Amino acid sequence: VLGRRHVLTRFLLAATLLALAGACERIPQDPRGTLDRVTGATMRVGVSEMPPWTQFDDGEIRGVEVELVRRFADELGAEIAWVQGSEAALLEALERYELDLVIAGLTDDTPWNSRLGLTTPYVTTKTLVGVPPASPPPAELAGLEVAVERGDVAAALLREKGAVPVVVADLSAASGPVAADDWWITAQGLRTLSTELQEEKHVMAVPPGENAWLVRLERFLSPLEDLEVRRLLRATAEAEP
Amino acid sequence: MRTAWFEDMLSLIPPAVFLIASRVSLRRPTAKFPYGYHRATAAGHLIAGAALAAMGLYLLIEALVKLATAEHPTIGTVEIFGHAVWLGWLMLPALLWSALPAVFLGRAKLPLAESLHDRVLHADAKMNKADWLTAVAGIVGVLGIGLGFWWADAAAAAVISLDIVHDGWTNTRVSVTALMDERPISVDGSKHDPLPERLADRLRQLKWVQAVEVRVRDEGHVFFGEAFIVPKDERHPVGRIQEAVRIAREMDWRLHELTVTLVPTLAERRSEAPGDGEASTAARGHDADDEPPRVDRARRRRPQRAE
Repeated sequence: VLGRRHVLTRFLLAATLLALAGACERIPQDPRGTLDRVTGATMRVGVSEMPPWTQFDDGEIRGVEVELVRRFADELGAEIAWVQGSEAALLEALERYELDLVIAGLTDDTPWNSRLGLTTPYVTTKTLVGVPPASPPPAELAGLEVAVERGDVAAALLREKGAVPVVVADLSAASGPVAADDWWITAQGLRTLSTELQEEKHVMAVPPGENAWLVRLERFLSPLEDLEVRRLLRATAEAEP
Repeated sequence: MRTAWFEDMLSLIPPAVFLIASRVSLRRPTAKFPYGYHRATAAGHLIAGAALAAMGLYLLIEALVKLATAEHPTIGTVEIFGHAVWLGWLMLPALLWSALPAVFLGRAKLPLAESLHDRVLHADAKMNKADWLTAVAGIVGVLGIGLGFWWADAAAAAVISLDIVHDGWTNTRVSVTALMDERPISVDGSKHDPLPERLADRLRQLKWVQAVEVRVRDEGHVFFGEAFIVPKDERHPVGRIQEAVRIAREMDWRLHELTVTLVPTLAERRSEAPGDGEASTAARGHDADDEPPRVDRARRRRPQRAE
């Protein structure tokens, strides 16, 4: 028991001294050295399509997260090697350190969160109901017919609230109430109702335990204004044909 | 998070058991429980010891699984006043803060457990020790992770869980052997309590006593026992028994009840099982020194008759 305690005390002392020796900037470190390897070199980024966060147009990779990653790579003086694939395939490669970063419109409630490093959310979006500003707002959601894009989970959420989802192919063609992300509703000049269908906290994924790399990415994302992300979102929406 | 919750639940068991057992054990004997409720303490000690062992084993297995699967713990940042601060730096003072009360509580409880002869409190103090050791392991782990050693947290937890398992095992063992009426031992189970020998010696000094044999068992926080006395003659049996009981109870407050039996001879009642070492279940006046019993084997093997 004495010997063990002795070793422990020494380790604790050594670790504390190291921490105090002006090493604050060098803590945390990456067990696999991702940050050092990527800086000034190549960053392997997995991207899975999830407009408007990530999208592929005629071989061109665009989207809000794509733009953010490009800026981040600029800061590090790194080239980006894009890897396209399904979210599951990319995240599995990320977990095994075959990629350095994955963007796929991920949210913080992804079931992968215990197996990977996720950034703290850099923006939060809400799914709301928007109504034309001219007509008086409906008194309640129950019984209201709301347009929803095909395959959007918002339809199920609307049904839970007693509303009647009307599935459409293109939301921007709808004339009445619509269920969509808050930034889209605002961009369309619609008025939002207070009922919140869901809240999504957007994150990016890094390999597990690469803490210096994660902290560097978070220090890039954290000063980012919500406004800037929303501006990028609107720019993406407007660029759509 | 789930782990921490499970640990917290486990570490609540010893203090809860202590509070319940120390209440229950003071109840007066009833028709249903004619010996009183003292053994509640012994039962409580078994539960507390098992909880401690479970905690140690749980931590050990969890740490080993993490090491085996090479789980790389991810610690990101949190934004404080516009700065992205590494969460590890915040974990250090938080862990230190959670360790401090347990250090002081544990240290305060140990001497109390000794003087109250309360083994549940002793196990509870060890659980406090387990709590602060876990926090210290967490501190070492976070620092190690900061330095880039992914295994630091699990390794520190594994080392510390060994100490907790040891405490849990000792407490469980002591509680089981006490329930099996082992002779009294100190609360931490490290040494024999010399009370049976001292009592036998003291009774032998009485003028009317020719030979004595005493056996004492630990009922958790108090002792019960029997004294078999061979008197020199058969006068005043009631008065003599009362005198012996009074002397015994004055010797040690822990000796709650002594049954004195006057016998014509001391029948050999000792276990003669092979390998029976120092742990003598009974003490004769002429065997006892100041030391715990170190009985001459040759003499013990031979049946002895009362003179």
